[in-house]
Amino acid sequence: MESTLLRSASLALFLGVLTYPVLAEDAAETIKIGVVAAESGAFVSAGHTLPAGVSLAVKEINDEGGVKVGDKTYRLELLKRDDRTDISTAIAATQELVRDEKVAAIFGSETHDFTLAMAKITQPAKVLHFAGNSTLAKVLTESSVANGGEDHYLFQTEPQEFQRSGSTARGVLKLLEPLVGHPLKKSVLIVGNDATGQFLSSYYFAALKSEGQDVPDIIFYPPDTTDFSPFLTRAKSLKPDVVHFWYNGDSTLTALPQALELGVAPSYFLFGVDPGIWKEQGLSADVPVAMSCVPVCWGESSNPKAKAYFDAYFAAGAPKGVTSSVSLLYYDYVHFLAEAWEKAGSLDPDKTVEALKTLHHKGVVSDDLAFNATHQVTHATEVCAAAPGGDITCAMQEPPADAPKQ
Amino acid sequence: MPVSNSLRSLLPVLILLVLFALVPLLSPSNRFLSLAISAGINVIALYGLSVLFGQTGILSMGHAALVGIGAYTAAIVARDFNVGFWLSIPLAGIMAAIVAALIGVPSLRVSGHHFVIMTFAFGQLLSIILTNGGDYTGAASGLDVQQPVALFGLSMDVLTHYYLMVVSFVALSAIASWAIINSRYGRTLRAIRENEKLAASLGINVGRHKIGAFVVSGIFAGVSGVLLAYFLRHISPSQFASFPSIYLALMVMIGGARLLLGPLAGGILVAFLPELLNLDPVQSRILYGVCLIAVILLLPNGLIAGIVAGWYRFFDRRPVQPNEPAVEREGK
Repeated sequence: MESTLLRSASLALFLGVLTYPVLAEDAAETIKIGVVAAESGAFVSAGHTLPAGVSLAVKEINDEGGVKVGDKTYRLELLKRDDRTDISTAIAATQELVRDEKVAAIFGSETHDFTLAMAKITQPAKVLHFAGNSTLAKVLTESSVANGGEDHYLFQTEPQEFQRSGSTARGVLKLLEPLVGHPLKKSVLIVGNDATGQFLSSYYFAALKSEGQDVPDIIFYPPDTTDFSPFLTRAKSLKPDVVHFWYNGDSTLTALPQALELGVAPSYFLFGVDPGIWKEQGLSADVPVAMSCVPVCWGESSNPKAKAYFDAYFAAGAPKGVTSSVSLLYYDYVHFLAEAWEKAGSLDPDKTVEALKTLHHKGVVSDDLAFNATHQVTHATEVCAAAPGGDITCAMQEPPADAPKQ
Repeated sequence: MPVSNSLRSLLPVLILLVLFALVPLLSPSNRFLSLAISAGINVIALYGLSVLFGQTGILSMGHAALVGIGAYTAAIVARDFNVGFWLSIPLAGIMAAIVAALIGVPSLRVSGHHFVIMTFAFGQLLSIILTNGGDYTGAASGLDVQQPVALFGLSMDVLTHYYLMVVSFVALSAIASWAIINSRYGRTLRAIRENEKLAASLGINVGRHKIGAFVVSGIFAGVSGVLLAYFLRHISPSQFASFPSIYLALMVMIGGARLLLGPLAGGILVAFLPELLNLDPVQSRILYGVCLIAVILLLPNGLIAGIVAGWYRFFDRRPVQPNEPAVEREGK
């Protein structure tokens, strides 16, 4: 009997010793953060970059010991949810993350409509919400982000559209003009006719005008267009110096070969196509082609920190895509948020918002990332141009200080 | 037909919905509740589609557009006239019915696959109109819905409350659909479905009744749109374009349009199958395609009708009673 008791006690002690580290680890406090993105479905191209960028940042923070908030250190726990490019699934995922998992922050989605519907859940629950949709400018106003406002916890991780469009237009014209060999005076926009396309084109149109361009027309094509010839024929009839393809990267890559075959213009600009894709796919053109990245390019970059970031990003298993750089609209802000929690010394969402508004964070995209009074960031955009011979040159273009007068 | 006989088709639906209403007692996740609400909202529109397709034999491929009419009506009257949820229900139903009538008049001059193409084109047209509607429709960005929803002082912003409200609306839709199916009007629609020329020779105004069926289905779609707008709190044209319409048609075809359980089964299956099997959208579409082919080849009246028929074949070989309504005969 005594022997049995002794054996049992020894076994219990042995199991206790074995399980101690596990239990201790479980007991370590964690902060849950969520990502809602299209990891499948129509928007997977941009969607998969979100969880990849956030995962990398979370890993780096945890590897460095976690987030020190007051006298406690927290590990970050990332909960990824695929919205399948479906708004019902995005809403269900957000409900789950906010109400069941009680996350402190949510990143995503890359789709404007989804983000706005998600914000209806995150904001009343005081969950910090970061999204890289420049279209959020429509809802982020001084009153909506004020304390008690309906979007107090919502942050836009992409510059305001007049800034992004302004720096892009300036950079495109500056890089293309020497390659074309004569002044560029007339531009035509070809744009996808959806929420983002409509929103972006109005700003880019104004940005081109403020650069002195004659812009006779904005040609809208229905989303999912594969035969661009009617739109390209119309563009050609306007005799442009540059045809600007806005957005998205995947449609643009379908449209460009058709434009080259039709000889629509002496130069082109492809919004959101990374030079890395240009090189990987062995693309070429007999005329200069400019490309822009959101916000920094991975295939060729003038940003000194970009190479190290993208090396780590792709080494972690993320695929090389047209919009891989979109991951930077999220990666930097996980670090930014961690710094804000440390500065606030608290996980309280109101104190964290205050810290986010006063911090200047050193990120990959910029050494001075900061949110303005309406929770939007400001930083440069990278533009590259491929010469007919294949040489690619890139430059970070700073945004204009003010929106152009309409 | 005796009422007790016809109630046999409604009773399983009501029992099932009572069981669904008890689900919150099991403390389900908010993800489940959210998906169930989306499925329920679709089921309401499906009951309308089942009147059109199941009873009249007309398939609409633009039904999500009528849901969109309801949703946009709710959002616009809330924004411009401060009209809340409850009043927007009848307003949206009426508006969707009017639009259905406007589409129905020219579209129903043609029949069969021509009508399907016409409704599909309408869906696309509405999406284009909403996308280019400027500030009035919120253009491609869409509209927010800010008004709170409350019933007897109880806030419907709580997910469980909204779920129970949607279950109630599904029950009302099922009862309305049942009442239509078992009315003289329903029998007229079935007569048109079985043989248009014969029905016309009996003095039935075929065109007027077909438009009527489209209008009735529009009311269901309009109500479903209001529930969707107030659930998501933000609506945009992409939610009411061609794909959602195809999905609605798919749901009603898989579940079956002639039995009351059909729309319920179709809506639930299509909403939860990708979730249960962890399928991505491409895999889901392949599965739906396979299901649809299987249903068309093996169970032409839908899954539920096939299951009911199988049940009777194995357990009850009694002959079909000639006085049973077509809707029940289909299942046996």
